[in-house]
Amino acid sequence: MLRFLVKKMLGLFFVILGVTFITFIMGYFAPSDPIRDLMGDKFNYAIWFRMRHDYGLDLPWYQQYFNYLFNLLHFNLGTSYHFQNRAVWDILKDGVPISTELVFWGFLLQLALGIPLGIISALRYRSWVDTLNMTAMLTIYALPSFVLSVFAQMLVLQLNKVTGIQWPVSQWGTPWQYDWTDLQYKIVPILVFGAAGFAYFARLTRTSLLEVLGQDYVRTARAKGLFERVVVYRHAFRNALIPLVTVIGLSLGLLVAGSFFIEQIFNIPGIASITINSIFQRDYPVIQATTVLIAVGVVFGNLVSDILYAVVDPRIRVE
Amino acid sequence: MDAREQPAEEISSGVIAPDTALAVRSEMETSISPHEGPKARPLSTPLQESLRMLRRDSRAVASIAIILLFICVSLVGPSIYRHIGMPYKSTATNRIVAPEVYHTFDHQEQDRLDEGASAQYWLGTDALGRDLFARLMQGMLISLLVAFIVELVDIVFGVTIGMLAGYYGGWIDQCLARFTDIMFAFPGVLFVILLTGIFGSWADDHLDGIPIIGPNGNARLVLVSLGLAFTIWPLMARYVRGQTLQLKQQQFIEAARAAGTNDLHIILQHLLPNLFSIVIIASTLNISNVIIGEASISLLGLGVRPPGSSIGLMISDGTAVVTVYPWETFLPSIVLALIVLSFSFLGDSLRDAFDPRTKVS
Repeated sequence: MLRFLVKKMLGLFFVILGVTFITFIMGYFAPSDPIRDLMGDKFNYAIWFRMRHDYGLDLPWYQQYFNYLFNLLHFNLGTSYHFQNRAVWDILKDGVPISTELVFWGFLLQLALGIPLGIISALRYRSWVDTLNMTAMLTIYALPSFVLSVFAQMLVLQLNKVTGIQWPVSQWGTPWQYDWTDLQYKIVPILVFGAAGFAYFARLTRTSLLEVLGQDYVRTARAKGLFERVVVYRHAFRNALIPLVTVIGLSLGLLVAGSFFIEQIFNIPGIASITINSIFQRDYPVIQATTVLIAVGVVFGNLVSDILYAVVDPRIRVE
Repeated sequence: MDAREQPAEEISSGVIAPDTALAVRSEMETSISPHEGPKARPLSTPLQESLRMLRRDSRAVASIAIILLFICVSLVGPSIYRHIGMPYKSTATNRIVAPEVYHTFDHQEQDRLDEGASAQYWLGTDALGRDLFARLMQGMLISLLVAFIVELVDIVFGVTIGMLAGYYGGWIDQCLARFTDIMFAFPGVLFVILLTGIFGSWADDHLDGIPIIGPNGNARLVLVSLGLAFTIWPLMARYVRGQTLQLKQQQFIEAARAAGTNDLHIILQHLLPNLFSIVIIASTLNISNVIIGEASISLLGLGVRPPGSSIGLMISDGTAVVTVYPWETFLPSIVLALIVLSFSFLGDSLRDAFDPRTKVS
């Protein structure tokens, strides 16, 4: 187990180095001079020179990259170009709780919907329930989340027109607070988030459960005369969960990336809208920071799922 | 006839007894079959078998029909649509406007804002008085074009590197694995957002000379396509690598090597044809992701820019007036959904038809 962990950690280190390097080098090769853009018409060579020095932009690339890594290690994501002297984290921090709240509840909903539907489909394999289920799942899985958001938005607007209620379709309430007014803002985006991803887990649960149900030990359990309920939930389902555990870690990144578009359509002030705004302000450090945060999150998610996989399935450790 | 010709060829290329015996048996079967009546089918290749399965799958046929329809409409549609309709006197400019002008995707008719469908504007107009049908066709063209470019790059890079990594292993394999790990850390279109976010304005100024994907605010499509291809090809390489590893163990490769065939010949003649099905399946399933990727980048305002048109851009234009004119958002969304669903259903059916493991069950 220790060797396994060390190997994984080394891989993680390498990947993080690569990810930060790609993010850094793109900012380094950015075609426009951010300081010059910032000064606009009031260009003054002395101030330009001093500001470049303050931002460390006059150093050679390897030194800049080293500084970048050094700052990241100290949880310093850099300084904004657009808002001078403002740390990037200061700009992002208002959006983080909102985005994490959306992703958290949306993800729970995805699991809560996806796993039972997958089980139902697998238990009625090749019946009309299964076919219907799987066609619907494939449809929902293939649809981009922003199209679902648009449909949901239009549905709510129609309902508003019919019933006369003013149910909001944009903005977000106070993060992690659940008064009725806050909930009104949050319910629709979270439902959309759940709908956009649950099909994936349903399909995965179905495939994995079907595979386990074909195993010899399930046949043995049935032959012993155990109740079907016991066979399915105690013998089959627990083993079918193994691939799910790994996928949960892997899909974390996709979840965050998927929230970008839901935030955009519903006008939610999360990290996505902050990042998009800073793109239009050519505030590269903010874009880089978001990318690095998400990428590092993905890498750690992968690590956690690898470790969990090895914990729940001892066969992995041997390899 | 085929079966009769094959043995002679095989003998001349030096394959020994067991294979010829097999070929002779198959020859006997085919020569007997006419006497057995209509029940016996002529032997068919795995490819023919798969195609037959695909033809029987109504979902796949419908998907292919929709995809072909979309391709035809987006390629031929604009040039036909431009010649349909009567000249019209604009009240805003007091000039007579011909259909060649008002049926283009970037013409703004100031006094015809947010209209419903009519004989003049088949699908209505948007908030700037542009013809929605013309914009939609242009958007579809952009989607399909990006999908085509990305898949081309994806297949060339993915197959070449995946095959080399699988066949030779060693440092190519190591590099591929590391690179894949790094690229997988950028989920979805995050890498493309970073790329277009930083280099977008540069592309606007410098890449607009490229035909079709350059002018009309489309210059960033080059970045979007390359970015998407760059993030996608490691996955293809991984599939190809896996398949190559499996094929390498098989006896026909071993036989070829024992017969003294060189590596290049083995790769081109024996490996490449056997990768066909996995490449087709993977790239069809990928196309949906690519189309969604381009649309979402344009939706964020980082891809196609006005006056150009893209399905994502149309959705984002529409959401500004969604409370009053939901049609303008609904139309591009449903078209995008149709394209994406057709490609995923087709990919799913292709997998069923070509994957030998599912064929067995």
